[in-house]
Amino acid sequence: MSRLEAKKPSLFISEPLTTVSQPLSLLIAILKSCYGPAGRLKQLHNGVGGYVCLTSQSSAILGHLSVSHPVLKVLTASVQNHVSRFSDCGLFTAILCCSLIENFKNLNIASCTIIKISKHLLSLCTDYLKSKACGCQVSVDFSNLETLLCLVRSILTSKPACMLNKTEVDCLAVLIVKAFMYTVPCHPETKPVLGKCVTVPLKGKRVLDSTVIPGLLIETPEIQFAKPFSVKRTSSDAVKVVVFCVSMSGDLFDPEEGTVTVHHKISLEMSELDQLLNVGKQLVNDEVGLVVCQKVIHPSLKQYLKDNHIIAVDRAGLSVMEPLSQVTGSKPIASIYSLSPSCYGSLKDVRAESFASKHFVHLIPNDTTVCSLILCNRNETTWDELKTCCLSTSSSKDVECSPTQYQLITDAFCHSLESVACSLSHDGGEILTDMAYGHCWLVPSGFPSASNWSDLLSKCGCGINSSTKDLNWRHLQPLFGSSPIESCPKEPSGKVTDFMTLDCFAAKYNGLQVAVETANLILDLSCVIEDQN
Amino acid sequence: MAACACRHQSATGDGAKTFVLLLAAVLGAMREGSPRRAARALPAFERRVLERAVARGLRPHLRSAFPAGGPGEELEAAALEALLEAYLRGRLGPGERRAVTLLGCELCARCGARRPPALRLLCGRFAQLHAAAAGLPLARSRVLPGVLLRRDFAAYCPAGGRLRAVLVTRCLRPVLTGPGVECAVRSERQHRAALRWCGGRTEAVMEHLRSGGVRLLLSGVKQHEEVIFYAKLHGVSVVECLSSEEVALISEIAGISPYDPAGDSVQGEIAEAAVVTFCQPLLLGSQRYVHIGFSSAGAFQPHCLVLCAPVDAINEQHAATLHGAFTMLLQLFRAVDQECGAEGESQNSASGVGSGYSPATETRVVTESIACGSSQVSEHQLGACRGETAAQSSDLALQESERPDGTPPASAPGPHSKELSVCTDGADSAGTHKLPALCECPDGMNESHRRQQAVCSHRNYCTAVASTATLCEHLGVGKGPEKAGYGVTQSCPSSILEAGSVLPVGGYFEILLHYYIQHYAKQVQQSAVTVISNVVADALLSIPKALYGTERNGFTKFYLETTEALRKNQPLPVNEKGLESVYCKYQLVTSVLHCVTELLNIDLIIGVKRPLQKTEDKDSDDDF
Repeated sequence: MSRLEAKKPSLFISEPLTTVSQPLSLLIAILKSCYGPAGRLKQLHNGVGGYVCLTSQSSAILGHLSVSHPVLKVLTASVQNHVSRFSDCGLFTAILCCSLIENFKNLNIASCTIIKISKHLLSLCTDYLKSKACGCQVSVDFSNLETLLCLVRSILTSKPACMLNKTEVDCLAVLIVKAFMYTVPCHPETKPVLGKCVTVPLKGKRVLDSTVIPGLLIETPEIQFAKPFSVKRTSSDAVKVVVFCVSMSGDLFDPEEGTVTVHHKISLEMSELDQLLNVGKQLVNDEVGLVVCQKVIHPSLKQYLKDNHIIAVDRAGLSVMEPLSQVTGSKPIASIYSLSPSCYGSLKDVRAESFASKHFVHLIPNDTTVCSLILCNRNETTWDELKTCCLSTSSSKDVECSPTQYQLITDAFCHSLESVACSLSHDGGEILTDMAYGHCWLVPSGFPSASNWSDLLSKCGCGINSSTKDLNWRHLQPLFGSSPIESCPKEPSGKVTDFMTLDCFAAKYNGLQVAVETANLILDLSCVIEDQN
Repeated sequence: MAACACRHQSATGDGAKTFVLLLAAVLGAMREGSPRRAARALPAFERRVLERAVARGLRPHLRSAFPAGGPGEELEAAALEALLEAYLRGRLGPGERRAVTLLGCELCARCGARRPPALRLLCGRFAQLHAAAAGLPLARSRVLPGVLLRRDFAAYCPAGGRLRAVLVTRCLRPVLTGPGVECAVRSERQHRAALRWCGGRTEAVMEHLRSGGVRLLLSGVKQHEEVIFYAKLHGVSVVECLSSEEVALISEIAGISPYDPAGDSVQGEIAEAAVVTFCQPLLLGSQRYVHIGFSSAGAFQPHCLVLCAPVDAINEQHAATLHGAFTMLLQLFRAVDQECGAEGESQNSASGVGSGYSPATETRVVTESIACGSSQVSEHQLGACRGETAAQSSDLALQESERPDGTPPASAPGPHSKELSVCTDGADSAGTHKLPALCECPDGMNESHRRQQAVCSHRNYCTAVASTATLCEHLGVGKGPEKAGYGVTQSCPSSILEAGSVLPVGGYFEILLHYYIQHYAKQVQQSAVTVISNVVADALLSIPKALYGTERNGFTKFYLETTEALRKNQPLPVNEKGLESVYCKYQLVTSVLHCVTELLNIDLIIGVKRPLQKTEDKDSDDDF
């Protein structure tokens, strides 16, 4: 009989928002200081010892911080879900959400009114962002690689924990864009499908040694091929390829119920091996040059294939099976009892390559959209983020309340947005906004605030607009309430230039919505009941 | 109390909070006076005051959620929205409820779930008919055509246009041996031949499927690697490892049963195939889904809901709320039927349900209630039964005295004298009248009995209480009128509550019931019943009090306005768009009263160290 433990009573916390102020402002301070290209690193470590994490990414910070306040738990979970989906704009979402809560909480207006109005304001924002007039969007021109490069570069530079210098960032950005271009099909059909880019992480080499090659690399444990490396070709000068996804180890492990009785002197293992060698014979007859098996190949069969100048690669693993069939056009075979020549594929060439200490078989296709990015770095995670970001760019009343309340809530909403923008500056420098475009301008610290701005500033924060006399700057300071811009922002004058800072629009758009929705959710909490069992 | 409230909530999808409020108010008011006496008077109150108050008092105020002159039992679109909106108001925050209401309405409309058959499927299979994605704003939620399966394709061969799909529940590759089967291998050659045959046979089955136009294989089990291989070779997509619920859902909406390539021949037509309009992979966050558009074989038009929210827990909450809302809507198609026959007979019929009806003589009543599964029949309870029978005669006397007052009751049975004869001499003719009515709904009765027995040790009381109103399911379309016309029409002209009855939300039901309970209580001469009537009537007011508690004098204003209108026979001053189901509300009141009866009958609470085992056997006398 199991031991019974008395259940603990549930913990009841009423008005959780009254106790959240202090932890919330601490969290805002942490997040704000990480924000933007000039964001500061955080060192996270456990006092007991162990792994030390240096980061400025929201996913790492929120993942490692142990948050105990129930309200902040909701907030961090929400931001982490956003990040896991878009891998970008996590800090933006978190800071905006925190400052919305902070500002709304101080208003002393019924939460349902706040929620109603902030929903209304959010819809105004999203409508504007989606509209053609929106000055925040820069459409990516795929015939001009500069924009793509800018986007990739912005993401790389906003992650200082990667410890990349400028040349390395440029080199990686070019490689990533190159890899992306490889995956775009040359002969677009009605519904073009992007190909695959397989990353091969290599540690212990310089970042500048990274490279992109067309085709696929399959890692092999050792150089097991005859030297000089040569591959058998068919009469049409192509290499015939067969891919097996079934085990060729000769083991019998069909999980069938019931019993198999074997007569004396009969070995099913021998029977299985005979069949494997039959397969080998047929492969030789069919002029196959390369055999790749997802699982293990029996040593005898391997030797037989080698003797007949067929390259055999086993233990390829499930992950390469899909790009492998894309590269070769072959269909993975699941039975050693029937080999249909229709499953064979072909390659232009096969080579043996080695990078650093690793050995690879390099499959070179005739014409496919698969490429391999050999990323030499200490950090293996950045690439995923980059790819998601590249891909997402390619896919791109009557409210019942008094006018005063409306004004107050709208102010709080705008201040929250502005405070996110203000957190871009970390050295005490001033932040200005211009009345023509509504863009953000950063003043380096140490200059008197009354100086002539147009002499001091050359380009706005994102790099689209250049400084002119008539821009009419003013301070952007959330604490003092700023006068609204009267006219609609003008269309940006500048064309896409070299060093712009760009964000992924889809991620930002989603982050804005998630932040407001989460803030509304938290504001509506009147008590927290925690099951302590 | 919590167990009863949860049980009520799971049955009707609504009213857990109201349940607790009302129960607390009733129990609070009953602290004075003898609890036993009150418990005994409750059934009589229910029969003679509550049912009349609902059937006669409430009826003129009720609205119908079914459009007038429309095609039978179909929810009006506007009524559906009003019902959902009001339901969600009590469950979701102000920022979310509008969006979730619209999603619920769209899902219902597109599935054809404004009618009971499709609504029942939507409600029963809601877990399979929705998917959740975290990290996105609620505004991204969508109703999609077709069904989402929580699996990835084992083999995906894109195919355009309409295609056929089969459902299988076992591996398509033959096996050499099975459970309890022994396979003897005499030579290596033979073994290889056997394995080769298995492969060949798999290919033959796949070829046969493909030539029959089948492009999609939906499997409830994991298929052998060879099956996947041949499927890819022949351009057949495969989805495997479907859960049994998903298999059941597919066979239900497409109207197919699993395909089994029986015997040695793979000839013949593939009859059990579903028509699929599209079939593609879908990525929701990190979870891969298979998105299949089935063309419907029944009333249900397959559509599914994708819920989005910043956090998973919010999605769960929205899904649970919508599921509750659909359960609540399903209750709307039910009616409460008048117990056919004299009201005083209810406990006789209750005991008759378990073992078949027999003419009611006093001794038989007692033996039947023993047979019905009560663990003990004490002298005390015998006394209780006799007491009820005594109450019966006074009840009948009351009915007769009621007749001359010029208002022939709309729902009370006309031929009292005939029923009277049932009680006194047990005439056979009356027995045959009653039999069909009782046989029609034994399921519901037994179920409610069993549920009550699970928590209540005083089973005799339960049997006496549970069956004052016979609840007939009117879900089968067209079945209702037949029932009514069968045998009992003359003694049972109409129901207490018709299917589809709704009232505006905001305490109107409670105020109306409060008013009419007081009204009909005046006609009852039994003092215990009058006391109970006042207690329940006052307790009902606790609900609007709680609703209007936030405004100053809100409740007093509401109460005065409404009762004034009732007194003057004017229409109620309603400025409220939301609606609520009167069936659920009525059910709530009766459930609370049953719970009160149970609680009042407890005289001792015994704490035990071990967890209680659920005992299925009903005659375990050793326990005591």
